[in-house]
Amino acid sequence: MEQVSTLERILRGIAISFVIIFFMFPILWIFLMSFQTNETILQVPPQLFFEPTIVNYEGLITGQLETAAGSLKIEFMGNLFNSLFLSTAAVIVGLILGVPAAYAFARLKFKGSEDIAFTLLSFRFAPPLLVLLPLTIYFQKIGLADTYVGLIWVYQLIVLPLILWIVRGYFEDIPADIEYAYRIAGHGFWSTFRKIALPLAGPGIAAAGLLAFIFSWNNFIFALVLASADKQPVTVGALAFITASGINYGQIAAGIVLSIAPTFALAMYAQRYLVEGLSLGAVKG
Amino acid sequence: MHEKEKNLIKTYVDGGIDRRTLIRGLGVMGVTAATAGVLLNSVATEALAQNGFDWQKHKGTKIKLLLNKHPYADAMIANLENFKKLTGMEVEYDVFPEDVYFDKVTAALSSGSSEYDAFMTGAYMTWTYGPAGWIDDLNEYINDSAKTNPDYNWEDMLEGVRNSCAWNGQPGGELGSADAKQWCIPWGYEQNNLSYNARMFKAGGLTVPTNIDELAATAAQAKTDGLASYGIGVRGSRSWATIHPGFLSGYANFGQKDLNVSADGKLSAAMNTDVSRDFHAKWVGMIQDSGAPDWSTHTWYQVGTDLGAGKSAMIFDADILGYFMNGGDNAEAGNLAYSPFAANPDASAPTPNIWIWSLAMASAGKQKDATWYFLQWASGPEHAVFGATQMDFVNPVRKSVWANTDFRARLEKSYPGYVEMHDVSAPGAKIHFTPQPLFFDLTTEWAATLQKMVANELPVDEGLDQLAQSVDKQLKEAGLG
Repeated sequence: MEQVSTLERILRGIAISFVIIFFMFPILWIFLMSFQTNETILQVPPQLFFEPTIVNYEGLITGQLETAAGSLKIEFMGNLFNSLFLSTAAVIVGLILGVPAAYAFARLKFKGSEDIAFTLLSFRFAPPLLVLLPLTIYFQKIGLADTYVGLIWVYQLIVLPLILWIVRGYFEDIPADIEYAYRIAGHGFWSTFRKIALPLAGPGIAAAGLLAFIFSWNNFIFALVLASADKQPVTVGALAFITASGINYGQIAAGIVLSIAPTFALAMYAQRYLVEGLSLGAVKG
Repeated sequence: MHEKEKNLIKTYVDGGIDRRTLIRGLGVMGVTAATAGVLLNSVATEALAQNGFDWQKHKGTKIKLLLNKHPYADAMIANLENFKKLTGMEVEYDVFPEDVYFDKVTAALSSGSSEYDAFMTGAYMTWTYGPAGWIDDLNEYINDSAKTNPDYNWEDMLEGVRNSCAWNGQPGGELGSADAKQWCIPWGYEQNNLSYNARMFKAGGLTVPTNIDELAATAAQAKTDGLASYGIGVRGSRSWATIHPGFLSGYANFGQKDLNVSADGKLSAAMNTDVSRDFHAKWVGMIQDSGAPDWSTHTWYQVGTDLGAGKSAMIFDADILGYFMNGGDNAEAGNLAYSPFAANPDASAPTPNIWIWSLAMASAGKQKDATWYFLQWASGPEHAVFGATQMDFVNPVRKSVWANTDFRARLEKSYPGYVEMHDVSAPGAKIHFTPQPLFFDLTTEWAATLQKMVANELPVDEGLDQLAQSVDKQLKEAGLG
């Protein structure tokens, strides 16, 4: 085993601490800001010590904020729910459609399979605004404008290519011999997919699902163009704190803390799968 | 409404009691000031229903509005029940934050969506929306006595503001000309003048500047004396919004224009004259000496926030920005004062360029007559008085509201100098830009050139020549020059 001197250990500790502080400082600063009023945040010079207040969180949860120009009505919790609902539903639909498709692309070599896979990937390259104006017209004609179903469908432009291409790689990494052995034992194609391929690619599917969720969560433009104010996600809702009568920094910080909480919690929970997923290819024969 | 309260308000409206007695009486009945305002306007709305106009003609019709998150929209929403009661109409609305508002408007209009019947807009935006056929000319409604109530009083709108919302669609055409189309109805507007920190000025023995040289000198003194982190707040981001407030207001005060319009209607750059060079040099020098260190990122928000926090000693920007910063939890709330500002020492009065929040009607809307009922109510005198006296519907666009003693008293009490500032500069207040479809592109390039000048990447003379060349080229390519 490698011997590490005390000095080297100390230097490594300092270097790691520096890196952690460097990356975590903005998040820590935002967290501290969320417990301050605008007046303390804008103090010159900035103060490290302050009297904490939960007024920003109270305002977000009750939907009523006090600003420079008076009382401001905020639909932040509704926006948070919309983000949660749209992202979760979009990822579930994306997984239901994308995982079998990824398996097909990985295992069944059929004519035009690469073309179809690349066509799906090309959805990621198209500038959203280019797609959105024609979509608005079509959605109005078929009654999908300003509906959750319509938005979940459009979110597949983000989710589906991501899931398909990531999960396809995981399926390709699973040795086909395991599946053949299971089928020789008398099991069908569907059963092999369900009992062998899916569990083995589980960590990869979880990782793809998590990434797709984060991409959906961060989306901004689809709901803005295609839906009314009551269906807007948190990315649009958070802008309501920037008003003509001033910027409500405290509420923005509290909004950021609340809006990163679900993705942060999910990432912490799924961390094990992510690590497993990333190391899956390491044992490839 | 309870009978007792209603009777008291009716007595006030009929002139039986004064305002102080009314407020005291409502206070005894446990009615808050805000509720009293809505009740008062409810009685005024009932009076409106008596003017012989058939307000119930579109009873049961539902219209939908697209609104920007703004105090003007808040004032309208607070009073909306009275409109519904007056007309029997249903009104739905979507409110979007300003940062994304115009993206939403453009997407809705360009897709031909009939979802929104009316929406808030700026007058500059109608130079795109109007010629594209996305919005209707409202003259046909204003001039139709069958559709417009007799008390609407269109002539009551401030002339410069009203004309600034009317354009004949010809590039370079004069705003408010006889053949102009009324693309939008002014709702509330902003003049660009001085808002300054009276506490700092008093502490430092500073006098309020009255021209561009004094402005630069006062800003420099405020900075060197340590009264504020920097002397003067003006916008500096790479955007059209950097040109239109204080900068263009000062520029126009020297008789300067953005574009020349030839006899045959061709446009050409007008910003490389000697007077313009001199003004640009003074403006750039002022920012270099006493502007915000991060001036090139400053938008409406930073300019206002720094004034409210006491980081800047004054701003040459929208008057209502200074108005908002004098309240709420701003560190300098109550310390701000206002002054009209004519950059040119030889000018007789200020010539503020203006931003107008207006209301427009979507061409794709399916119930236009009903929509006009909403537009005339929302821009009518009753709602204007309610918004100006009870909410932050400031600056009103109607002369009658500026003559309202309650409104003037309210402003004079908490906003020193605001009324005088408005009265002095209103006659010269209008849009000083030349209306044409490349407005946003050309003004953004102008802002980019200013940034280079302030960063010393480009001398003023050379920068203006390059800008004029580029503007002429773009105008020619677009068939306008």
